[in-house]
Amino acid sequence: MTIQPTGVIHDIGYRHYEGERLGRGHVVAALTRHSLRGVFGLGRTAKAKIMPFLLAMIMLLPAVVSIAIMALVKQQGLQYHDYATIMQPVLAIFLAAQAPYLVAPDLRFQVLPLYLSRPVTVLDYLGAKLAAMTSAMFLVLATPLTLLFIGELLVDLPGPPHTTDYVASMVSAAVLAVLLASLGLALASFTPRRGLGVASVIAFYLFASTVSLVFYGAFESMGQDDTAKWAMLINPFFLVDAVQVSLFGTPPSNGTGYPPGPWACLIVIGVIAAALSGLVLRYRKATSS
Amino acid sequence: MTPSVTACISTEGLTKQFPRVTALENLTVTTEAGVTGLVGANGAGKSTLIKILLGLQPATSGRAHVLGMDTATQGVDIRRVVGYMPEHDCLPPDVSATEFVVHMAQMSGLPRTAARERAADTLRHVGLYEERYRPIGGYSTGMRQRVKLAQALVHDPRLVFLDEPTNGLDPQGRDEMLALIRRIGADFGISVLVTSHLLGELERVCDHVIVIDSGRLLRSSSIGEFTQATQAIAVEVEDGLQSLAERLTAAGEAVAVQGRLLTVQVPAHDEAGRTYDAVRDAVCDLNLNLVRLEQRRGHIEDVFKEPAA
Repeated sequence: MTIQPTGVIHDIGYRHYEGERLGRGHVVAALTRHSLRGVFGLGRTAKAKIMPFLLAMIMLLPAVVSIAIMALVKQQGLQYHDYATIMQPVLAIFLAAQAPYLVAPDLRFQVLPLYLSRPVTVLDYLGAKLAAMTSAMFLVLATPLTLLFIGELLVDLPGPPHTTDYVASMVSAAVLAVLLASLGLALASFTPRRGLGVASVIAFYLFASTVSLVFYGAFESMGQDDTAKWAMLINPFFLVDAVQVSLFGTPPSNGTGYPPGPWACLIVIGVIAAALSGLVLRYRKATSS
Repeated sequence: MTPSVTACISTEGLTKQFPRVTALENLTVTTEAGVTGLVGANGAGKSTLIKILLGLQPATSGRAHVLGMDTATQGVDIRRVVGYMPEHDCLPPDVSATEFVVHMAQMSGLPRTAARERAADTLRHVGLYEERYRPIGGYSTGMRQRVKLAQALVHDPRLVFLDEPTNGLDPQGRDEMLALIRRIGADFGISVLVTSHLLGELERVCDHVIVIDSGRLLRSSSIGEFTQATQAIAVEVEDGLQSLAERLTAAGEAVAVQGRLLTVQVPAHDEAGRTYDAVRDAVCDLNLNLVRLEQRRGHIEDVFKEPAA
């Protein structure tokens, strides 16, 4: 007597995909989300998560300490408009550590042609990468600022809350995020090696801040204080602080002030435009060969 | 039905000029659904043609259509329904095949859940099982080629461009890859344009073969015509091979002696059976013992040599 088979395994073979195909906007959004997660090490190895989260934690420390000071002595600790310039080395390290991750592997392992053989153009790709890096920089800076503001509201300091100061610092955080992201990606994209990318971004920050200080000192010792103030704008963090000063009238956080007028705003726009053109030219060259 | 519906790829006078070299010269060719082989030596212009067909590079002059869409203006629409497997290595080492293929599916516009399903299905079809959860960095060349193929198929394209898919594979890996390509064309119903510089390989999987050399079209025809043109019969007799050869040559046949075998060419335009009759009559008249009389399928290589000669 034969045993009746109770189940059969069917080879269903190849099935065509009949479902929805999303447009370019959705694809770019998916790439942005994927890249932003990657910047914080999400969806990557445990090792990749250490650096971004450590730096994000360090960014939060002054806010936490400030809230404690406000709660204990009823006095404002760290000012909103000073946050970015005081924490600038941490932000620079975050940028240097994460910007190369976004661009270098796709160049090094030649993944870029796979993106471009899909409904994604070079500009879509760069836009997504830039949006991801900008959002990451903004998150890292805006989170402690917002925490500080919530802390201030909860502690209920004497006098009105520093709402304008908070808004000003958030706007300049956004400007700083765009500026740093475009500079970081442009610098990192010139080498397919991640280590070199990290080194070149951090070297650029050290160079800019040192040159800025050297020129400032030199002009000041010659008694040309007005010229010395221009030298401050070489450092991207003070450049954005100067934008904040000219837009919102916050006190300058470098102690000496900046050249008057809208120059800082124009320079920021110019630097972002130059960095983005460099980035696009770099990719035009990479994809044409 | 318009011609653009049946034509998979069509080019008209396609020319691509680089500053120093001419990659494609006045290429006019049409292919239909099925597996099409694109044959040429290295640097013949195969990869350039694929880039133009994907709408990634503009042609210097001439036009090209893929699935009825113009490559110059509808590149994005073409790339939505076409897959591409590049010749070079293109895989990041630190992610798993599954993650990578899911990401690439999303980059083709598939929603996330659909991308996951399709990636799992496609990786199974190309023959990657448990290893697909390991980082790609530890894969063999054969496995990498499969991942590259999977990312080209994951969004269920109507046409795939496979650039040298058998590159770097050992003979067994080569056979498996070729069988997979045959299945893509036959079972999956996806048209394939596959390039190779090895002609024998393509003979086994293609319906149609295009031969290009230095950017110029040497030949474009169905595989049947290719081999039919060089159809030959092999004749083996016990003794008197030489006299048979002389007799047939005298009768106007193209004959070559290959060891103990006699190869007689059958011209394609021949009226049916004239050559066969000539062989039969010659063997009878000379009173020879016929050991073997069989059809020999010509190889593409022979055809490829022809235009050069």
